[in-house]
Amino acid sequence: MRLLTKITLNLLSISLFIFLFGMVAFYYLLRYQVDQNINFELEKCKKSINKGLNSDHTSINQDFNLNLKVLITPMIKQQSPVSFSDTLLFNKEENRYILYRQLGYIKTINNQAYFIQIFKSLEETDRLIVRIVIIMNLMMIIIIITLLIANRYSSRQDWKVFYDTIEKINNYDVDSRNPFSLNNSDIKEFSDLNRVLLKMTERIKNDYLNLKEYIENASHEIQTPLAIINSKMELLLQWGDMKEKQYKIVSDAYEASNRLSRLNKTLILLAKIENRQFPESKPVNPATMINYQLESLEDLILSKKIVVIKRLDPEVTIQMNPYLAEILLVNLIKNAVRHNVTGGDLIIELSKDRLGIANSGPQLQMDPEMLFKRFHKASAHPESLGLGLAIVQKICLLYGFKIGYSYENGTHIMHVEFSKGS
Amino acid sequence: MKILIVEDENTLSDSMVEYLSEEGHHCEAIYNYFDAVEKIGMYQYDCIVVDINLPDGNGLDLIRLIKKRAITLGIIIISALNSLENRIEGLEIGADNYLTKPFHLAELNAHLKSINRRISYGGNNQIIINEIKLIPDEHKAFVHDKEIILTKKEYELLLFFISNKNKVITKAGLAEHLWGDYMDLADSYDFIYTHIKNLRRKLLNEGCEDYIKTIYGLGYKFELT
Repeated sequence: MRLLTKITLNLLSISLFIFLFGMVAFYYLLRYQVDQNINFELEKCKKSINKGLNSDHTSINQDFNLNLKVLITPMIKQQSPVSFSDTLLFNKEENRYILYRQLGYIKTINNQAYFIQIFKSLEETDRLIVRIVIIMNLMMIIIIITLLIANRYSSRQDWKVFYDTIEKINNYDVDSRNPFSLNNSDIKEFSDLNRVLLKMTERIKNDYLNLKEYIENASHEIQTPLAIINSKMELLLQWGDMKEKQYKIVSDAYEASNRLSRLNKTLILLAKIENRQFPESKPVNPATMINYQLESLEDLILSKKIVVIKRLDPEVTIQMNPYLAEILLVNLIKNAVRHNVTGGDLIIELSKDRLGIANSGPQLQMDPEMLFKRFHKASAHPESLGLGLAIVQKICLLYGFKIGYSYENGTHIMHVEFSKGS
Repeated sequence: MKILIVEDENTLSDSMVEYLSEEGHHCEAIYNYFDAVEKIGMYQYDCIVVDINLPDGNGLDLIRLIKKRAITLGIIIISALNSLENRIEGLEIGADNYLTKPFHLAELNAHLKSINRRISYGGNNQIIINEIKLIPDEHKAFVHDKEIILTKKEYELLLFFISNKNKVITKAGLAEHLWGDYMDLADSYDFIYTHIKNLRRKLLNEGCEDYIKTIYGLGYKFELT
């Protein structure tokens, strides 16, 4: 849930709560005020009746409001003393009960005690109260809605900087040469956030550059001595007068130093892919590359009597680094050739969003997950570095491709899904 | 061919001088940028082999200087820097090749041969070794003036052998020449074996002498007696 939505909902629930209680309180306050007012009127009426009773009978009616009703009954039994109360009386004209406010008191006229009740209809005032409450409700609802909308709109303006920052961080590329900048905000929290982020990205960038430099340096430092060893061995091998045993020793040492240098080169490549040091990206045509690779492996394919079945869409292009694309395809194809059986099939399928490379072969004796692990060797070849598929996986990871392995009917299938490619 | 080698590691430099001298080249070794600038100002070379990281300068600057002075010579960069950018930059400013350390001397030699052919024959050249004739520009091979049909890899292999004739060429050197770096070389040796078997058969079929000798499972040698 967005913070803005959350805030709006909080605000809405709080205001609804306050509004509900406020309205109930308002109703009772209003009611109380109106009752006071009517009581006052009844008192006035009482005075006027008393005055009338004490003097001339005829003058009584004149002061009487039409809404007022007076009932004078002789006192029969002990009645309650002076009191205000609400009561329902039956109205003959309208044929229904109507709510009245009554003032009852005892008055002694000519030594006879009378119980006098003055009634005032509450119908009018009730109607007024209801109307006031409704109008108040409407007003409140309008105010709350307006406030919420206004708040949402103004918050959105304030949050714009925040979303902008998120977007920029999301697209942050440590390898990018463009300077990283964030929009300024007049809100302290946001400007603090941006300041901290800027500081952090700068630190990351520095660390990254240091690491990059370190890798380059390490590579350089290791490669040079290796170059010396290799060249010396190569020279040594040119001496014609060595015994076979000596040749064997030199050749083993040469083999090992070669492996070391390839290992170093490959590990540096892996690190570079991980560090995204292949920023160049352009549309590459895998079909052309696949055909080229098959051509360069032609002899081996022939010698193993492998049947190549190609179902390539020549129109497919993928946006990626051409160098990495080549490494990806070489490793996959070569793998499929290497682990193929004599007379087996090599099926390469390429469509807009999928590359599948399948080869015949016996079932794996290990967990397929292990395939992509570094230094894991399926075959017993000492020359193998066991890094081929690790490189493939790293490249796929870099471009958001999905790589998978499956085994069906004696066929190993490696498939790459170009979820991001087009 | 007169070659100037600019490499600060003198042991590596010595190896190159020794290997290339045996091939009949005249090599001069220079260990820093300053001396190299002086040398190319004073003498004429056919080719320069230059390291990028020199103690007192950058090999790329040396190449720029050569290009600025419009000196015609073949340029091979040898560097431990394997960044793609370095490689591209090197080739863009006019180098003919870029070799990453560690490299095989046979590989360096093959590149020099190719430069030599380009300089000496202007491209319209052929290589004749006894009964074998190669026309590099057309990727064609002949035995006793009869064309033999070779696959691309077989042709490359033959050219590489001929460039390094009478030298022991290791299987690793061959594999890297044919497929480059970053190829997991597991059973590349089987690949090479297959290629060599086919190449040898095709040559022998046309009555060519068997020049390709196996050296104790270590490598091969194109031996001219």
